[in-house]
Amino acid sequence: MSLPVPPASSRPPRLTLRQSFAVAWRTLRSMRTALVLLFLLATASAVGTLLPQIPSSPERVASYRATHRGLGAFFSRAGFFDVFGSWWFVLILSLLFVSLVACLIPRSRAMIRSIRQHPIQARELDAFPHYREFVVPGAPAEAAATARTVLRRHRYRVAMSDDGRAVAAEKGALREAGSLVFHWAFVLLLVTVIVGKGTGYVGHATIVEGQTWTDAAFNYDGDIRTGRFSSGGHTGIGIHLLDFADAFRQSGVPMDFTSTVELLDPAGDPVRTDVVSINHPVSFGGVRIFQYGFGWAPVVTIRDGDRLLYDGPIVMGQDASAGENPLAVPWIGFVKLPTLRPQVAIQLELYPDSVAYVSGLLSGTPQPMTEANAPFMRYAVWEGRLTDPSLTSLDTRFMHQTATGGIGQGWTVDASSGCVVSGAPRRLPQAVTGVGCPAGTVAKLAMTFPELKRYSRLQISRDTTVPFVLVAAILILAGLIAAMYSSRRKVWVRAEARDDGSILQVGGFALQRKDRFEEAFPKLVDDLSAAATRAPAESRQEVGAR
Amino acid sequence: MTAAEWARVSSDAFNVALFAYIGAMVLSFAFLAFRRDGLHTAAIAVGVVGLAANLMSIVGRGIAADRTPWGNMYEYSSLLTALIVLAYLVIVEWRYRVRTLGGFVFAFAIFTMAMAVSFFYVGPTDLLPALNSYWRQIHVTAMITASSLLGIGCLFTILYLVKLGSERRQVAALRAQTPPPILGGSVEADLGTDAPPDYAPGADEPVGSGAPAEPARRIGLPPSATLDRLAYRFIQFGFPIWTFGVLCGAIWAQQTWGRYWGWDPKETWSFITWTIFAGYLHARATAGWRGTKAAAVALVGFVSLLITYYAVNLWIAGLHTYAK
Repeated sequence: MSLPVPPASSRPPRLTLRQSFAVAWRTLRSMRTALVLLFLLATASAVGTLLPQIPSSPERVASYRATHRGLGAFFSRAGFFDVFGSWWFVLILSLLFVSLVACLIPRSRAMIRSIRQHPIQARELDAFPHYREFVVPGAPAEAAATARTVLRRHRYRVAMSDDGRAVAAEKGALREAGSLVFHWAFVLLLVTVIVGKGTGYVGHATIVEGQTWTDAAFNYDGDIRTGRFSSGGHTGIGIHLLDFADAFRQSGVPMDFTSTVELLDPAGDPVRTDVVSINHPVSFGGVRIFQYGFGWAPVVTIRDGDRLLYDGPIVMGQDASAGENPLAVPWIGFVKLPTLRPQVAIQLELYPDSVAYVSGLLSGTPQPMTEANAPFMRYAVWEGRLTDPSLTSLDTRFMHQTATGGIGQGWTVDASSGCVVSGAPRRLPQAVTGVGCPAGTVAKLAMTFPELKRYSRLQISRDTTVPFVLVAAILILAGLIAAMYSSRRKVWVRAEARDDGSILQVGGFALQRKDRFEEAFPKLVDDLSAAATRAPAESRQEVGAR
Repeated sequence: MTAAEWARVSSDAFNVALFAYIGAMVLSFAFLAFRRDGLHTAAIAVGVVGLAANLMSIVGRGIAADRTPWGNMYEYSSLLTALIVLAYLVIVEWRYRVRTLGGFVFAFAIFTMAMAVSFFYVGPTDLLPALNSYWRQIHVTAMITASSLLGIGCLFTILYLVKLGSERRQVAALRAQTPPPILGGSVEADLGTDAPPDYAPGADEPVGSGAPAEPARRIGLPPSATLDRLAYRFIQFGFPIWTFGVLCGAIWAQQTWGRYWGWDPKETWSFITWTIFAGYLHARATAGWRGTKAAAVALVGFVSLLITYYAVNLWIAGLHTYAK
């Protein structure tokens, strides 16, 4: 009989929708597809490290786009600047997990079936790669029963044949079980990560010593990263910064940063005091609090006669260029007085350790300013129109500078003219202190600098699934090790009557780690014969072996 | 001794180790060329001296800096070299009695050490506070151990491909003879197919893959099947340790940076490397991907490992740059 040969030009038969779905499903399930998807994922991730990414370094993305105009626009549209959030990365990941689950479901079913099933008897034991046969005393049924006990002791799952003369045994279900745990744990990992990131948030809080910060959306500085499925609610807990301390080595290398905080419940009542430091986050009220950064916050008051214009700490930032030791660079902050006409802004430049700064200038090597030591600020006063309320920058396009000067801690100056009213030590040269105000001056902007405080920047994050992610990670590892280091082994024993005793046939093989089984099999045989004859293995009467 | 003296001891020992490894490499290749047993013995002896000096350097560094001596790339490289040589001596030379691969392993060790001295050298200094965690010790130990095992696995993969090529050329030469000799049985099975010969279908390991009995006098590379198996063993051993190391890194990141995963370049590349070796292990278990295809995957994994280890610190900015 011959099959009808289709004409060479004929197209393959059209598949029904159902059939094409079946084909697609089968393709998705295949190991080949999984491998290809795995490599696609790796390639996509590699792209994400070679190009700057918006979530981690938006300023580098901007400069890249400025220098590579055409390519930058293309990359931007294709999502190459946010690879890990792009639709195609999510697509690859989703396909990979669909493929994984599609493969896992039938495997898990088969696994459950095979555990329920008893080991199956074999017929010709001498056909197996490992085989021995030897004489034992006692009837076949008795010998088989003894063998069963020995195999059990070797942690085999066993089944007796109907005639009671043969035993089928196997072990190593842990291999497939471990593999399944490993792969299912990835599904768990993905789900927990999505839920955790999706419902949580991460942001940064700046707290000056002595101040209390409350967990609410508008209290975070800069962007707060909120998950896609977040309800937008915050915990409302309070953090009262009692003290910030840092420790530096002589070289200026930081050793530790420590914030001592009093934690308040949403009602504002203190609950406990705790210490947040690097590598030692604190959990409280559903969020975790990490030490993130620090800085200086000089307390400044500004008066116009009797009118208090400003009184409070100014959070200062830095503008250190690459390669500079940020601790050797002055800190910058702004005071904005929008109620005055014309509007006034004061730009402040802080030298927390002016002694170290001056000695750095003299020696030519900038000295780190780690401690408050004769703190000093230079200031510049601008008048005109304020365009934005930002406390970290000043737009001077519609302003002009009216005065500059310096102010040390404990001094009073008239910022409107840049002269010192009181407090400057006499021994300092005039170049530093600036001119003294003429006697009888009424300061228009009397500025004082009574205290230099520190602020601590804390990272506040809410991610409820972290423990489950850890569980998934542990399952991944446990499953992997179980799958890699256990092996499936099958052994059969059959007893045949001979004279007044029996011949015991033992056959078996291993599906993995065959070298180990090569060592284990003779030991098993020794145990079997010792149990059957109640004599040491050396006196065994071998009939056949392989 | 003072810290400065210990630092001196450490860097002297590092140089001794480097030169000993160079000597061991030269002797190993000489053994391949001239096939004198004495050369092999000398190579191993010099290699052991190098390893001792290498370990001495690591210990001295630890005492000088008063912390576990794996806090920057220079120290990682020193540790990586010691582990590679140790793993080679114990597993390949001692357990498997394969004597011909030393030159390649020492060459790899020399490369790693030379990179350390020329690009990553720093004195025994203190660590940044973020590095000051016991997770650092666990994470780094795991990553370095896994790197050395995966590295050796890939070295064997390269040798496997080399040997496979020469075996195929031998077969081609035999076939070209007129009249063609009768190739059958093991020769045909050994040399004629794409996959290593002794694979049972569906199994992921060769049949009867015990430690090979010591060959009478085997000079030259071991058969491709042995090399392939060794490569697989090392990668299989290294992979769970790599996984463990990445997980420890995630735990540490959660503690220090407040997130367990942030697609930082070093994190991402460790994930890429993990993915590729996971692909390799799957490929070994998949019909049609064994042999040269799986070997190619392992080599891609090796390139990714080198990128993870070096390139991220040298060229790509990220949170792990302090590990320079």
